[in-house]
Amino acid sequence: MTGVPAAGSAILEVSDLWVGFPSYREQTLHALKGIDLRIEAGEMIGLVGESGSGKTTLARAIMGLVPPPGVIERGRVLFNGRDLSAQSDAARRSVLGRELTMVIPNPRAELNPVLSVGRQISNIAFYHLGVSRQEADRIALDMLRAVHIPDPERRFNAYPHELSGGMAQRVVIAIALVCSPRLVISDDATSGLDVTVQAQVLDLLQTMVREKGAATLFITRDIAITAHFCSRIAIIYAGEVVEIADRRRFFARPGHPYSIMLLAAFSHNPALRARWTRAEEIAGATPSTGCAFASRCVRRQTRCLNEAPSLRPLASGHAVRCHFPVEAQA
Amino acid sequence: MSAMLDVQNLVKLFPLAGGKVVQAVNGVSFTINRGETLSLVGESGSGKTTVGRCILGLIDATEGDVYFDGEQMGRGRNIRSKALRGRIQLVFQEPAESLDPRIRIGETLGEPLRYLGMNRADRDRRVRDTATHLGLPERALDRYPSELSAGLQQRAGIGRAIITRPELIVLDEPTSALDPTARAEIVDLLIRLQAEFGTAYLLITHDLSTVRFVSHRVAVLYLGSIVEEAPSETLFAKPLHPYSVGLLASVLLPDPELTRSSAIQLEGEIPSPIDLPPGCPLAGRCPFADARCKTEQPPPVMVAPQHFVSCFHHAKVAALDHTTDNFARFQEDSTRLLSVGAG
Repeated sequence: MTGVPAAGSAILEVSDLWVGFPSYREQTLHALKGIDLRIEAGEMIGLVGESGSGKTTLARAIMGLVPPPGVIERGRVLFNGRDLSAQSDAARRSVLGRELTMVIPNPRAELNPVLSVGRQISNIAFYHLGVSRQEADRIALDMLRAVHIPDPERRFNAYPHELSGGMAQRVVIAIALVCSPRLVISDDATSGLDVTVQAQVLDLLQTMVREKGAATLFITRDIAITAHFCSRIAIIYAGEVVEIADRRRFFARPGHPYSIMLLAAFSHNPALRARWTRAEEIAGATPSTGCAFASRCVRRQTRCLNEAPSLRPLASGHAVRCHFPVEAQA
Repeated sequence: MSAMLDVQNLVKLFPLAGGKVVQAVNGVSFTINRGETLSLVGESGSGKTTVGRCILGLIDATEGDVYFDGEQMGRGRNIRSKALRGRIQLVFQEPAESLDPRIRIGETLGEPLRYLGMNRADRDRRVRDTATHLGLPERALDRYPSELSAGLQQRAGIGRAIITRPELIVLDEPTSALDPTARAEIVDLLIRLQAEFGTAYLLITHDLSTVRFVSHRVAVLYLGSIVEEAPSETLFAKPLHPYSVGLLASVLLPDPELTRSSAIQLEGEIPSPIDLPPGCPLAGRCPFADARCKTEQPPPVMVAPQHFVSCFHHAKVAALDHTTDNFARFQEDSTRLLSVGAG
């Protein structure tokens, strides 16, 4: 699996993916409802959604690790042409951590507390790259240097609790990139960091990913990050992609009322914000037919309550799941 | 007129085993007037929460004084003292963790009033009235915290504070656990409540994008010292401390055109506050640092009315071309964007 793939070839192809969590006595909860997503080599795509929108379930489904009792009900995920969920654990293990890796939030909790950070990077190289222990250690030290950890020789033997949050997050990035993966999934990787550290870690992640030629699925709830680090933006709401567009197009002419509501949250003008925000209703009132966003939408009409919109193209490379996208009336 | 809250040269040290000392707060002074919002901005480890706890009298300061309404806080006099009950309130970061999971929201809201000796009928009336102010649906009063979204939970958290009509609310990271849309709603609510009740806020946060439009004044805290204090607009448009410049440049706005200004890039992270070296707290990370910065702590200098900066080199910072206020530009752009076709 070496060599740079031809431009335009899909690293990841998610088609009509449905993931459900069956529950006792109640209806199955659908975390993902027909996700279509294609990521090409070297692309950095930002997936933005609020808590509970299905972002993390999608990341797990891509790795073939939907947490039980969740099941893939329909559709499939092809990573490099292979369906990871259909493979044996051993086969999947040879892909995860090597060709498909993940940068997780809260690194100090996720790293192994009783192994030195150098050894944790080295283990990945040793296991996946088939090199000697000495060679793996050397690679790990190079990675610590590459992620700008000061005094890497000494830090090699440090344990996770001895590092600050920002340093630990750099170690996690080193672990994710040590095998030059094809796809890196970053799941809210910087949400726990302070702003000055977040900026440094994001710059580092972007540089490293570019150097290694990997594609990135950048999952976050902060739409501002994607404006600066992603080439394409996808907005996910209640398990559906509601808008997808190239970065410049998206931020200049967002079409879905929910996208605009997300952007409006940064406005300092309460009156304008109010124009795009409908008072929150207590959960349980979500209609089973119709648009999932209708209960919070300022532009909803009768049709929105009765008929679910499909993801329709608005312009080249720009699609919106809305009966009345903003562009059409502007 | 004397300020409602007056903090003078506050120092808080936490001794460690082996004779070491955590220097959490090193001489912080500020005031808050009635009906005013002061934001205390800083990264983790800057001492912002310790300052908040000293003000509430929950921990005693090592040195320095806190006066609330002319009387000293601490040494047994705190927000639990009978004379102060209900006059200073607190809102926490994690709404789900700070509300009792087994008590209905309406009951939680009314609880502070019980300790003020209010009878049941008056309490119920006040709870309903407050719920209206909060934009909390009446049905929510009969729910348990877990049945509400994080945004509604935080509304209840604010309601529990505002219900006693306090003079000061200390808000400790009230929005950082929330999604951006819920965050904006909470900020609107805080502004509205302040206009209605004239409550003063001490907003402790690291979330700069909300700070600008809720605060009258902003104090930037770094390693237990206030490095710059200014009216909100001034600080965002023309910060003069290298740390403030770096901090503001790190904030990302959702507009690809507004790239981060690179006049000053802060490298590395906030160091450990154990046994700090003398001199300017930023000396180890600052591009302007010279020998003097490493030995001598710069005193606060008044550069304009209400604008104080503690830096020997603030004139050099002022000379840098970092005056483009990305925040102001973003507001213009977003106003244009949001003005099209709303419902």
